Amino acid sequence: MEWSVSDDNSRYKVTLEEGEGEVRASSMTKDGSEIPPPRVVVSDAGKLGRLLVESDGNHGFAHVVRFGDEWWVHIDGRTHVLKFHEQGGSGSAASEGSLAAPMPGTILELMVKEGQRVREGQPLMVLEAMKMEHRILAPRAGEVTKVNYEQGDRVDMGSVLVEISE
Amino acid sequence: MNPGWMEGSPTPFSKVLVANRGEIAVRVLRAARESGLAGVALYSDSDESSLHVEVAEEAVHLEGDSLDQTYLNAEAIIEAARECGADAIHPGYGFLSERADFARAVESAGLVWIGPPAEAIETMGDKISARTLMIESGVPVIPGEEIAVEDGANHLGALATSAARVGYPLLLKASAGGGGKGMRAVSEPKSLRSEFEAAAREASAAFGDGTVYIERLLTKAKHVEIQILCDSHGGAVHLNERDCSLQRRFQKVIEEAPSPAINQMTREEMGAAAITAAKAVDYVGAGTVEFLLASNGQFFFLEMNTRIQVEHPVTEMTTGIDLVQKQFEVAAGLMLGLEQHEVRQSGHAIEARIYAEDPNGGFLPSTGTLAMWRPPSGPGIRVDSGNREGDEVTIDFDPMLAKLIVHAPTREAAIRRLDIALSDFVALGVRTNIDFLRNAISHRAFHEGIIDTDFLDETPWEELAGPLPDEAKLVAVTASARRLGLGTAHSGTGEAVDEHSGHPGDPFRTLRRAFP
Repeated sequence: MEWSVSDDNSRYKVTLEEGEGEVRASSMTKDGSEIPPPRVVVSDAGKLGRLLVESDGNHGFAHVVRFGDEWWVHIDGRTHVLKFHEQGGSGSAASEGSLAAPMPGTILELMVKEGQRVREGQPLMVLEAMKMEHRILAPRAGEVTKVNYEQGDRVDMGSVLVEISE
Repeated sequence: MNPGWMEGSPTPFSKVLVANRGEIAVRVLRAARESGLAGVALYSDSDESSLHVEVAEEAVHLEGDSLDQTYLNAEAIIEAARECGADAIHPGYGFLSERADFARAVESAGLVWIGPPAEAIETMGDKISARTLMIESGVPVIPGEEIAVEDGANHLGALATSAARVGYPLLLKASAGGGGKGMRAVSEPKSLRSEFEAAAREASAAFGDGTVYIERLLTKAKHVEIQILCDSHGGAVHLNERDCSLQRRFQKVIEEAPSPAINQMTREEMGAAAITAAKAVDYVGAGTVEFLLASNGQFFFLEMNTRIQVEHPVTEMTTGIDLVQKQFEVAAGLMLGLEQHEVRQSGHAIEARIYAEDPNGGFLPSTGTLAMWRPPSGPGIRVDSGNREGDEVTIDFDPMLAKLIVHAPTREAAIRRLDIALSDFVALGVRTNIDFLRNAISHRAFHEGIIDTDFLDETPWEELAGPLPDEAKLVAVTASARRLGLGTAHSGTGEAVDEHSGHPGDPFRTLRRAFP
């Protein structure tokens, strides 16, 4: 069981200790190396998805909502999305090099084809949603192994648009 | 039955149909209730359970899938008003609000149109007719001139004379050019000749015996607009300015009143120019005259918006005048009952537009479920929104989720209040620009009030990216939340819920629907 914050690739493992309705981290690793566990004590604030968080002697609230493996957390005035990895290790191999639609929309223009090599940041396609056009960029360099849609297709959020191998 | 305040009205009404959706429909429907008027909402299929339908006493369904069949369907909307006995229509902003033909159709159906005369919408809606009328009326427009350049003649003489009148820096364009071809910026007189020749080369076909257009180039300009109110008896006041310079790709993000960039003298001059502009089209109702404020303090007419604006609340907070209530009064044919010297300016108000977008992902619009939606509250905090917890955010409509408006005695206090209110705004399940707004308003340039309309587009991302998260702390807190059994109800698939599934009083249970 590992955690990561947003798209950051660092993986964290945490050991928790529990007592009197309170939970704290007793040890933590970041990408396999031991790091000092943050000094936070967390307790259920009783209602509405709210937690009481004591951090270095300061008290504050955190609000938490879960969508599948995604954990949305509002704390210290900022919102974060954490990912929970049940299996640990790197995520499922299939999803590693695939690019999911960041929003539902229509593919206006397709700029790559299968077999083509792309560099990081290269525009792959133009997606239209909410009357705005958005360019989908290659997250990293590699070869386009699969293009799953054609120009004019409507895609849902999360649909795998293209797959890119190392 | 007409409410008491309408006594003596030549065009009384008692039931208002709001031809809009989202936050502005909610805003207008609430104002109607406060004014003793019955309110009718409209809704398309996807809005069946939206907030604006909930706050209305009555709602009429518009059939169809596209906007043309629903919120843009003038015929169906007027028919809906007839059916439910509404005798007035408020268009809100967007949709049909600036369609002159809709205004005419409403009036010829014998209904009260809560908006300006169709002719005013028409004139101001056309950039060229508006510019011509403003020049005739003496409202400053961005200086520009057309010069006919005859083949073989000495162009430079005529060009230099016009350039001197327009002023530097200027933009030189071939009228027949386009797409940036033959368009050159000229910063000083001595480079006029070389830039003209370069432009001529670039657009050789266009410059032969064509026409050259020169216009003053406004760099580092601010967007300052004046709210005006006019009645049908010739009464007209302005309600001071709003500064909307903080924009992203011409989309307003933060608006405030008063503007940190103008003094009382400019305010009065701009206000007078706005009233002149409104009177030139015999304006009636609430409207906004937009100006570009150059770095040297000169201002120029940009356009007039013939409707209520998204950012109208900052004016309401600082003047204490309810603009929608005033729209009702004016539409009923009553006098404004307000003199210019009675318009006050109290403290400072700032509005932040909360959008469903992902600033860390190129500002792509985001969708999802507002699984947790806790807008801030407190003294001097106002939230106008058409959303509530549990609502779906789809790509069908505008991505604006809410407007957060704060009011405080000074600009510094208002910025602090806005920052705290933004940090207390809990919106989970849909990515929003809330954190980005905090980063933007904490930027030194915003504090100093020196930003121009290019600020967000030109500032390096590092300056707007915000602090790096304390990942270890986040992981510790979230893992603890998981251990404590929080957030277990929003199952990703909507299927199996693990052993921590919520107790009967768990609010997530009631929220749990088909979360994708």
